Amino acid sequence: HPFPSVFLRDIRNTVGNIPMEWYQDFPHVGYDLDGRRIFKPLRSKDELDLFLEKMENPEYWSAIPGKPRDRSVPWDGGSAVKSHRGFGDGICGELPAVDFFSHEVRIHPVTNRPADKRSFIPSLVEKEKVSKLVHAIKMGWIQPRKPKENVPTFYDLWAQEDPNSILGRHKMHVPAPKIPLPGHAESYNPPPEFLLSPEELSWEQQEPSERRLNFLPRRFPSLRAVPAYPRFIHERFERCLDLYLCPRQRKMRVNVDPEDLIPKLPKPRDLQPFPTTQALIYRGHSSLVRTLSVSPSGQWLVSGSDDGTLRFWEVISARCLRTVPVGSAVKSVAWNPNPNVCLVAAAIPPWIPLDPFNPACLWDQLPQLLLGIPPFPIPSPFPPQRAPIPFPIPFPIPFPFQPVTQVTWHAKGDYWASVLRNPGGRQVLIHQSSRRWSQDPFRKSPGMIQCVRFHPIRPYFLVASQRSVRIYNLLRQELTKKLQSNCQWISSMAVHPGGDNVICGSYDSKLAWFDLDLSTRPYRLLRHHRRALRAVSFHRRYPLFASASDDGTVIVCHGMVYNDLLQNALLVPLKVLKGHVPTLDLGVLDVAFHPQQPWLFSSGADGTVRLYT
Amino acid sequence: MNIDFSQFVSEDHKYVEFDFLINGQFLRLPLVTHMEMENISTEEVVEIEYVEKYMAPQPEECIFHDDWISSVQATEEWILTGCYDQTARIWSVEGKSITTVAGHTEVVKDVAWVKQDSLSCLLLSASMDQTVLLWEWNVEKNKVKALHCCRGHAGSVESVAVDCTRTKFCSGSWDKMLKIWSAVPTDEEDEMEEAANRPRKKQKTEQLGLTRTPLATLSGHTEAISSVLWSDAEEICSASWDHTIKLWDAETGDLKSTLTGNKVFNSVSYSPLCRRLASGSTDRHIRLWDPRSKDGSLVLLSLTSHTGWVTSVKWSPTHEHQLISGSLDNIVKLWDTRSCKAPLYDLAAHEDKVLCVDWTEAGLLLSGGADNKLYCYRYPATASDVGA
Repeated sequence: HPFPSVFLRDIRNTVGNIPMEWYQDFPHVGYDLDGRRIFKPLRSKDELDLFLEKMENPEYWSAIPGKPRDRSVPWDGGSAVKSHRGFGDGICGELPAVDFFSHEVRIHPVTNRPADKRSFIPSLVEKEKVSKLVHAIKMGWIQPRKPKENVPTFYDLWAQEDPNSILGRHKMHVPAPKIPLPGHAESYNPPPEFLLSPEELSWEQQEPSERRLNFLPRRFPSLRAVPAYPRFIHERFERCLDLYLCPRQRKMRVNVDPEDLIPKLPKPRDLQPFPTTQALIYRGHSSLVRTLSVSPSGQWLVSGSDDGTLRFWEVISARCLRTVPVGSAVKSVAWNPNPNVCLVAAAIPPWIPLDPFNPACLWDQLPQLLLGIPPFPIPSPFPPQRAPIPFPIPFPIPFPFQPVTQVTWHAKGDYWASVLRNPGGRQVLIHQSSRRWSQDPFRKSPGMIQCVRFHPIRPYFLVASQRSVRIYNLLRQELTKKLQSNCQWISSMAVHPGGDNVICGSYDSKLAWFDLDLSTRPYRLLRHHRRALRAVSFHRRYPLFASASDDGTVIVCHGMVYNDLLQNALLVPLKVLKGHVPTLDLGVLDVAFHPQQPWLFSSGADGTVRLYT
Repeated sequence: MNIDFSQFVSEDHKYVEFDFLINGQFLRLPLVTHMEMENISTEEVVEIEYVEKYMAPQPEECIFHDDWISSVQATEEWILTGCYDQTARIWSVEGKSITTVAGHTEVVKDVAWVKQDSLSCLLLSASMDQTVLLWEWNVEKNKVKALHCCRGHAGSVESVAVDCTRTKFCSGSWDKMLKIWSAVPTDEEDEMEEAANRPRKKQKTEQLGLTRTPLATLSGHTEAISSVLWSDAEEICSASWDHTIKLWDAETGDLKSTLTGNKVFNSVSYSPLCRRLASGSTDRHIRLWDPRSKDGSLVLLSLTSHTGWVTSVKWSPTHEHQLISGSLDNIVKLWDTRSCKAPLYDLAAHEDKVLCVDWTEAGLLLSGGADNKLYCYRYPATASDVGA
């Protein structure tokens, strides 16, 4: 063979990385460079030969059967296992390997160290670790793992509808706002009008929220010259925030029709009967008519005026039946509500007479009333008539020189009260006409008294001062309630025939309705009038109340009071009654309802009394 | 032969105006509009009735009084008026004042004739002094004497009415009572219910006649009675401020039926020809009712043209469809019930409220008011369909 033995040892694998079983049946394995077959050695050792060699050849274990050629390559003592160990053979500076592990039993063991105790006892390190864990568990720093309870899991069928749940959010998805498409200012070479003007060059100093554009439009000669956009990351970040971090919520805008806020009041057409038109005008007075009162039967009307007369009218025909000159202006008249007695109380300075006016001249009744009166001269000549004239009975009151501003009767017709204009001193007096005596019920007067009224049913006495109304219990002689009206100056007061509601009119054009069961503040403040309110009144039978004002109108309202304590009163304005002519800055001065019919009388500064039906 | 036909041409050949009626309603609008409004179909035969047009009432007299005239009642020869100056006056139809009946102490609210002879007449006056006085008027001597003073009411007496037999009369007053009295003058004084020593009263009664107490008192109204009338021989109709018209049986004193309305009734009038009641209320409508309907409140017809309260109504005594009404808007209207939207004629002569109206059989219309004047009109009595 011309090849040196070096080459024999370096014969490469000429078949590749294939399993050698494929050449089992062939006499050759691979080909050489010339293309000739490389024959396997002729005689291969069979099992018997291998066994004999193993038993008899002392260098059997030292020979490595060479794989490529099935030829045992004798081991020369070290070069084949060179690469496997960290030790070298001492040639290139590596330490020689010391065989202290070998198959031969040597005399000395590798180490003769005796076994540690820790090999036989439980581990101390682990014990320490365990005790630390136990302490931590005892201290509660570590929660022992609880066994998972098998909680039945429910599937929320309606999670999609709940806008707060994760599933429901999909329904309520509010898409992010669209990024606006780029315009001309975003171009790399925008027209000069899209660049910022010199005033806007303070873009840098402005707040980011104030800027008109998010970026600074710049101009470049070509696309190549365009630098990197400095705000790119900013913009993407903000967009990401918009997309997923910005909470969006549907704002439910309440579309409120302003007409729905107006309370639905019943139509005036449904609340009839109430006075709507002017029917009669009672002419006769020459000056403003300050006060009027209707008889309890409804046949007569008495009015007192500044021209110093009291006039008695027949309601149905507007006929003035009697005129009683009294000398000075009449401030207040009130007809006795007792239908069996015909008495009118009129407040005339300096004394208050009681006029019995009985057109049928039942003189039989008069002697009872005339008992105990000292004779007095009739002040002025009466027109000659064959009929008996109204006979004034003077009622001497303790303070004859203070002007009396108001008289009012008790519902039974025996007691009556008068208000004197005496600021600081005694202002209210209560009189009894059958026993002919008067008394002053109050020790000190609470401010300037405007108006007093008797309660129609209960023994209460209502006193209205300028700002508040005090209710006194006459039997117990104590103050029961104080109603605070939100008005500056109360002018008049009226009590509902049911006894639970009070209305006050004030000079600042407000009408306060008090519900005595509800609170001491007004239940409703009605501002229907333009100018000061002069008088208010309730109807005895129908659910109506009226207010007279200086603008010459009378406003009739429906005031329905319910028997059950749950429902509040229903107040509906019905009609503005016009007719009076405002004179001398005064309009309608007094208002009164007819006792039975839904009719309204009003007296005004133009000297007329008008009937509305 | 020359026959002069000119004598056959009568002077009273005159143009006659006609008025047309469709379905009992006067035709006031163009025919097409009327038929549309009344929903009369043009497919059917429409009957148009024609009548001679009613002439306007001719004003005759104007009688001046001293005070407001509260009531008026007239016969063929005499006119009796009640006045607010506490007197009743008698006038002739020509307008001449005959005599004054004074005696009341208060305003006279209603007057009525009881009986008329050629020698003497009986008349009634009701007043606010709660009495009704029965007077005898001697026509020849022209003297008036109070025969009876009917006391019993506790409020002013608003209305009196005499029945067809002229023996009884009824009165309604503010004390809500309806009282029936005898209208026959007697010589005895009725016993008073209250026994009292009334020397003063005896003096008065001698002046005013013997005292009389009512035959019966009918109560049922809850408010004042404004107007009463006899609708039949034994039936009284009363209208009141409690919005009702009540029909009473005069013999037994029972309430027969009630007609309910909405407003205070000022006056009622009954027509035996058409058997309807006309009422004037404190609204501006005149309503026609059927008194025979059982306790209903069915208004048959509502005549609207006034602009104020209707104070008085009166049916025509001869014509079944005509009535006259006076109101606070100073106008007296003559209506035909067949045209309910507009009256036949408006008589606007008063300057103040009209308080009373009357219609005599002779065709005389009277109206008195608050302007102290009494106006008389002549209205020819036309033949109604009832007679034809």
